[in-house]
Amino acid sequence: MDARKKRKILIAVAVLAVLGVIVGITVWYKIFRDVPQPEWITKNQSDNFLYGSIGGEADAGIPYWIWLVLPRMFPEYLPGPGGYASLGISWEQGREMPAGFSKKTIGFVRVGENCAICHSTSYRTKEDEVPKVVAAGPGHTADIQGLILFFTRCAGDPRFTADDLLAQIDLVTKLSFVDRLIYRFAVPQVKKALLDQGKGFAWTARLPQWGPGRDAPMNLTKFNLLQMPADDTVDNTDFPAIWHLAAREQAGRTWSDKTPNPIPAHTMLMNLDGATTSFRSVLIDSALGLGAKNTPFFNRRIPQLLDWLREFRPPAYPLPVDAQKAARGKAVFETECAACHASQRDNRMGTVIPIAEVDTDRARLDAWTKAAADGANAKVASLGITRTPMVKTEGYIAVQLDGTWLRGPYLHNGSVPTVRDLLEPPARRPQTFYRGYDVIDAQNLGFISNLAQVKGRKFFLYDTRQRGNGNGGHLFGTQLAAPAKDDLIEYLKTL
Amino acid sequence: MNAAARPSRRKWARALRIALVACVALLVVAGLYLAWRLTRDEPVDYADDAAHFKYGSTGGDRLTGIPYWLWVALPEVFPEYLPDKRPGHGYASFGMVYEAGKDPRYDLPAGMSRRNVRGIDSVYLNCAVCHTGTVRTAPGAPARVVLGMPANTFDIGAWGQFLTNVARDTKFTPQRLLDQIRVMENDSHRLVDKPDLINRLIFRYIAVYRMREQTLSLPQRLSFIEFAKWGPGRDDTFGPNKAFFNFNMTHADPEELTGFADFPSIWNQGPRQDAHMALHWDGNNDHVTERNLNAAFGTGAYPPSIDADSLQRTARWLETARPVPFSDLFPVDAALASRGAPIYQHYCAGCHGTKAPPFVHQQRQPGEHVGEVVPIAAIGTDRRRLDSFTWELAVNLGTNYAGFEPDWGFDKPYPRRFTRYHKTYGYANTPLDGLWLRAPYLHNGSVPNLRELLEPAAARTKIVYRGNDVYDPQNVGFVFNVPEQGGRRFFKLDTGQPGNGNWGHEGEAFGTYLPAEQKQALLEYLKTF
Repeated sequence: MDARKKRKILIAVAVLAVLGVIVGITVWYKIFRDVPQPEWITKNQSDNFLYGSIGGEADAGIPYWIWLVLPRMFPEYLPGPGGYASLGISWEQGREMPAGFSKKTIGFVRVGENCAICHSTSYRTKEDEVPKVVAAGPGHTADIQGLILFFTRCAGDPRFTADDLLAQIDLVTKLSFVDRLIYRFAVPQVKKALLDQGKGFAWTARLPQWGPGRDAPMNLTKFNLLQMPADDTVDNTDFPAIWHLAAREQAGRTWSDKTPNPIPAHTMLMNLDGATTSFRSVLIDSALGLGAKNTPFFNRRIPQLLDWLREFRPPAYPLPVDAQKAARGKAVFETECAACHASQRDNRMGTVIPIAEVDTDRARLDAWTKAAADGANAKVASLGITRTPMVKTEGYIAVQLDGTWLRGPYLHNGSVPTVRDLLEPPARRPQTFYRGYDVIDAQNLGFISNLAQVKGRKFFLYDTRQRGNGNGGHLFGTQLAAPAKDDLIEYLKTL
Repeated sequence: MNAAARPSRRKWARALRIALVACVALLVVAGLYLAWRLTRDEPVDYADDAAHFKYGSTGGDRLTGIPYWLWVALPEVFPEYLPDKRPGHGYASFGMVYEAGKDPRYDLPAGMSRRNVRGIDSVYLNCAVCHTGTVRTAPGAPARVVLGMPANTFDIGAWGQFLTNVARDTKFTPQRLLDQIRVMENDSHRLVDKPDLINRLIFRYIAVYRMREQTLSLPQRLSFIEFAKWGPGRDDTFGPNKAFFNFNMTHADPEELTGFADFPSIWNQGPRQDAHMALHWDGNNDHVTERNLNAAFGTGAYPPSIDADSLQRTARWLETARPVPFSDLFPVDAALASRGAPIYQHYCAGCHGTKAPPFVHQQRQPGEHVGEVVPIAAIGTDRRRLDSFTWELAVNLGTNYAGFEPDWGFDKPYPRRFTRYHKTYGYANTPLDGLWLRAPYLHNGSVPNLRELLEPAAARTKIVYRGNDVYDPQNVGFVFNVPEQGGRRFFKLDTGQPGNGNWGHEGEAFGTYLPAEQKQALLEYLKTF
């Protein structure tokens, strides 16, 4: 080979290498470049909870403009006017997306979900009032099953094509040539991912509906995370409030890697049946369910969330409270409720109350098994994450009662609409009622539950006769005289 | 092969080469010319700000524009869909405003802009179409065109229906329209050159079909909007927003669908912005820029098509635009008016502010509520308009102009994503600048004149004819009791129909119990606003 030929080859190789680098950088920049969220999100822990990333966008994120136009393309798959708002997802006025969605650039802008999609709540004191959003509260209006179904139906629609989506997107933004190209490639992949997600949730169609404010936490773990075969159990459960979790951690009573199960039967556990042994474990498992990955970001974000949720307190009851009645009610609380529900004491709060004792609907309890717990532990360990284990218990947790006024409907399955109903024997609790309205029921404490619809917004008819929806048990306080119940309700407003 | 053939072959080859080069050059030139023609994007500009307001572009003519030659041809081809079914006077029968000396067949009405885009001249709406009105001192008298005034004669609902009807008609074909254009194209009043070959090809193969597709893609989304119930000077302000978001309106509360509202006057926007006054009838935004950008959606200016500079120029002009004084057209009894001033001060000023800009003290004083929202229970007017702006819509409006933010790498200060829309449960107190031109009154235009507004609802007229621009200076409002005049039928507003209620804004606090003499003085004073 003569020198000239060699030089030619060398030049060609160099040109190719430069081109390769340019293409590589472009691909990295437009598809993989991870841009931190803006500071208004990351520097404010409340906004970070509502809109911040937990790391799910890379794998489970939807390209932003597709996410934006889906409700505009497929309104027929939503229950009413309002796009995502029609599904009851909390939305603060002036924000570009509801709480629980996080917008993050990973090459291109994507939308993922975070804890707030289920754990932020909205309330109003009257119909003519803008809903107020409370972070970390139980999202009692959020129809998550409806949201998943919406995405599945969109993806299954013949109009879910790059051409049709881009035609909609062209009404709201000007995509660059490269971004258009990326979207053309992304659309079929998003379609497939959403359809796969839909298949993963197919088992929910055969079981009683979640309705707003609930999901099937244990079965989601079993069937979706662990791929266990569907077993026909029902575990529909209210989203819990996750504020002020410091109340659920006491020295010597908290499970840690160093002191597993410190005082059995006296240990404060998490999840409504105590199946998870520490707050950190619940957080990790829930985040994994939203597509988070074991990354350095994740390992920074989890402690940050833990710290904030330990201390964040619910807002005070926004309507007037009769102080005298409340003072009398405190005495009732001490004798009737405090042993299980008072915070910051050496009592049974946060511990598992045996099912025979509390006697509430046991479907949720029975849906979780030792095998499932072992499977979850193995799965998380295989991801290289160390956390305290999931276990199998035989009862339900006595929950803390701060922000009781935002925790309705009550019991683990949300089968009792108001505190007043909970203080009645099961036979006198409503057999059916409506969930999803966010106006406070000041009389009975909870949310107004007797209206099928208000101004076109239709609510969910909850039937306690459905499997897992039983409203029996928790007879505590039902024997009280009517005035004592009134006083107790007034006191509970102050928590 | 002999020697003599060679030069001949060479000649041929040379000729061929030259021809080839010429062909390529021609193709390149033609290609460049076509590229220039088809990528041109040039609005018609105006040196004068007022002319810009009337005829300048918001950018709506970029995407939603109607080709000029189709615009002039449509009323001639489809007179059956015009309100008066008569061709030959453009869109005048919809109450569009043609200035004196204009030929409605060829000239544009105030409120239409023109732009050369994608190879043809296109026209579409701008702000002035809903915010330019006319006043006459008597039937047949010349119309005084007032900029920034509510478009008291323009029936935008009927106009939109016209376009839909046209696009649906089997006559809406390239051939039929090109035939009509050929009849009209040599008229000296035409605003643009007669169509050349390229224009004709675009009409024949693209423009007509594109317009049909655009127009007919809308009716399904707009099907919940009650266009026929608006009448001149009104619309369902936020219905089109819901249609843009394609809300699932089949499940909407029926009461949400009848929020008819008068076009407001839009002069003196500067002081409104400075004092962060609640804008729109229900006060759902306190940011003039956002309000303008959202209104511009109605002119077809979407985030990808908006002409930001042009829209900002209009917005700047509106900051200091002023109404025409009543005294320009009619006399005012100064002595009587001065007796009305203290009555205004006592009854009205708390909510409606001072007479002249800035309407409010820099530091709001106690009892000074201009630009604030009054709860519906206190004002008691028809609440349908307020209910039509739902919380669901308010939160979704936060997605408008998404992507136009610094944390997306967008570095210009304008436009920006909306952040200020909020649901309210009342109606906003507005300053009363140019009040006399803002008739009929209340947000739904259900009370024909100020004299009736000072009467309790029970004494107010039940049937109000709207769209007449003949002024009644005695009662301060337009003539409302004539169903038809000069061949134009007016819109019958029945105050008994949903959304048209003429009640509220009555009682002691609202001056409806004042003695007649004091009302007369107040009325005279209000003429001076």
